[in-house]
Amino acid sequence: MLPASLIFLCIVIAPIFISGYYSTLEWDGIGKGVFIGLENYKNLFFGDRNIFYGAIWNSLLLAALSVFIQLPIAFMFARLLAGGIAGEGFFRTVYFIPVIVSTVVIGQMWLKIYNPQYGLLNQFLESIGLGNWKQQWLGNKDIALGAVFVPLLWQYVGYHILLFYAGIKTVPQELIEAARIDGASHLRITFNIVVPYIVSIIEICVILAVIGSLKTFDLIYVITGGGPLHATEVPTTLMFNTLFHRVNYGSGSAMAIFIILECLILTLVIRYIFGRLSYDN
Amino acid sequence: MKLIRKEFTLAALLVCAMMVLGGCQEKDGSTESASSGDDSVKIKVWTLWTDTTDDINAVAFRKALETAKTDLPDFIIEHDATENEAYKTKIKTAIAGNAAPDVFFAWGAGFVRQFVDAGKVEPLDQYLTDGTTDRMKGGANTNFIFDGKTYGITFSQWVASLYCNKALFDTYDVNIPETYDDLMQAVKTFNANDVIPITVGGKDKWPAMFWQNAFAVRTAGAETCNAALAGEASFDTPEFVRSAQLLADLVEEEAFVDGALGLDYNESGALYLEGQAAMYYMGNWFAGDIAGHDSDIGKNTVVARFPVVPNGEGDETQYLGGSIDGLSVSADSENKEAAATVAKYLMEQVARNLAAAGEGLPTWNTEDVTSEKTNPIIDQVKSQISNSTGYVLAWDTFLSGADADDHKNYVASIFGQELSPEKFAARMQEMNE
Repeated sequence: MLPASLIFLCIVIAPIFISGYYSTLEWDGIGKGVFIGLENYKNLFFGDRNIFYGAIWNSLLLAALSVFIQLPIAFMFARLLAGGIAGEGFFRTVYFIPVIVSTVVIGQMWLKIYNPQYGLLNQFLESIGLGNWKQQWLGNKDIALGAVFVPLLWQYVGYHILLFYAGIKTVPQELIEAARIDGASHLRITFNIVVPYIVSIIEICVILAVIGSLKTFDLIYVITGGGPLHATEVPTTLMFNTLFHRVNYGSGSAMAIFIILECLILTLVIRYIFGRLSYDN
Repeated sequence: MKLIRKEFTLAALLVCAMMVLGGCQEKDGSTESASSGDDSVKIKVWTLWTDTTDDINAVAFRKALETAKTDLPDFIIEHDATENEAYKTKIKTAIAGNAAPDVFFAWGAGFVRQFVDAGKVEPLDQYLTDGTTDRMKGGANTNFIFDGKTYGITFSQWVASLYCNKALFDTYDVNIPETYDDLMQAVKTFNANDVIPITVGGKDKWPAMFWQNAFAVRTAGAETCNAALAGEASFDTPEFVRSAQLLADLVEEEAFVDGALGLDYNESGALYLEGQAAMYYMGNWFAGDIAGHDSDIGKNTVVARFPVVPNGEGDETQYLGGSIDGLSVSADSENKEAAATVAKYLMEQVARNLAAAGEGLPTWNTEDVTSEKTNPIIDQVKSQISNSTGYVLAWDTFLSGADADDHKNYVASIFGQELSPEKFAARMQEMNE
């Protein structure tokens, strides 16, 4: 245990505290930092022309979509797969492929799909006679956010399918058979037996989906870089920009600390809600 | 599978350990001393020249390293290259941790300034008096001079030009634009014929920024631009408002490719190379892409100066560009004189190798070099700037950090029609206050 704890302490816990310290400095990362207390946090939340709230809102929206759209889709597929359809193993693998592929590759692929001149999506719309539906998917600030959410949600569906699938497989077959003999419909079995049985898996999936959404970075960075005009900015892309382009380590660290706290608090809230749920049951 | 996992874990652990150890070493502030076993001095050189097949600068640098082995027998040059974006982070981290190499690639003006201000860069003036200055073109190191001291040596300059697809201009009977009115006329004609008038990669922000910067060179003139950037003149003047207004008018006229803010540099350049867009305003490095592209675009390209505007302060001999790429010597280097010698040698040789290859715009006197081949596009650029009277760097390289980022966002907002030209000028002036 000791070596593992040490490494965990050095690599995970210590940097968090160091970031906490940096967030109280006005520092360009090279010279000497000046201690300015909570000034960075003040600027973050009450500064002029604030774009941080927009970024937080985008990430919360993504978290909500993830929980209420991505997870139900994943559950549906998992239930179908676990019900023993033909080619179960094949589909399980296929759905999981986007999870294994590097995010940068996925980002590049979707860039090609969305490209306004030769992109797959516009070409497809054109070919089925919906030419006037063609869009500047990533160049229009009103639809860019929706356009980056699609690959984000799509990529990790397979991951949740696998978790749900494993959960559903643990539901005792005799329970389901007994219910079926008593005349329960497929839907009824799903909601009265399967869902309550795997509620702990659902909790894990919800936590992973929410946390994953709040700290999402790579795919957005590759596809839009937070643009156009900050339309797809999330806290992590802002943080990266603040740290490495604006060379403001204090403010960037304050954002990092905010993201950590945000994740912690939301995790606690979700656990509380699920705790109540299982208590009620 | 299990074996692979084990190896992976082991590798991950090793990486972690290296990071921890590296961190400790940096904190000590100790730099490795060259082994004194023999007489040769080890000089560490970091650059961003990774791609030695397509990147003309990298090829020229690789050649310079080869000749250094015979020309500088007393030195062992340890070269380490990192790709552009990663390099920026790497060199910043190294300098912050007192682990900078002896010689490192730097961009003049805003980028190197943060290191100079922190006292991490060695002034090179005493090493340049050996005739080096005479072998360089006048003002070649301007962007590395702070408080009268020279902190870096350049090898080439860049300049932005308006690349025009002559075939498209001929097809629709449009003249290559010399004035802003010509440009507007061309835009209207191309739009009427479903040809993209101008392509620009707004996702990367800086290509979009070029347009406002170039208009400012025309409306306010190079001298005023440089003064305002240095904080010695105001941005909130009618000339700078006009630079943004002219751009806003172009946007209004739909001069730029649809969805420009979602296209990156490569995607936007491809539209020009594939003959779909008529005009592209870009630095001379794009000449290499044109010459290397497998189509007629090389034959069809006419290099034009940025259009002049009526009653502007700047005429057609002023350019967006300058000499900003160079090598600097670390103030922590244990052997500064040797490091300076290596830096001087490498930069001169890179300039000469570029001249020999007929590429780039060297900042050294390379008239005595016979070029093995020529790039007709770069020759057009060269003949245009032969009478240059002023240069303004891309503003994001002159400014630094938050100012540079803000500036790029402001110009992007003009492209997005979210910021009025008056507000643009006022916000730029906020940086100077």
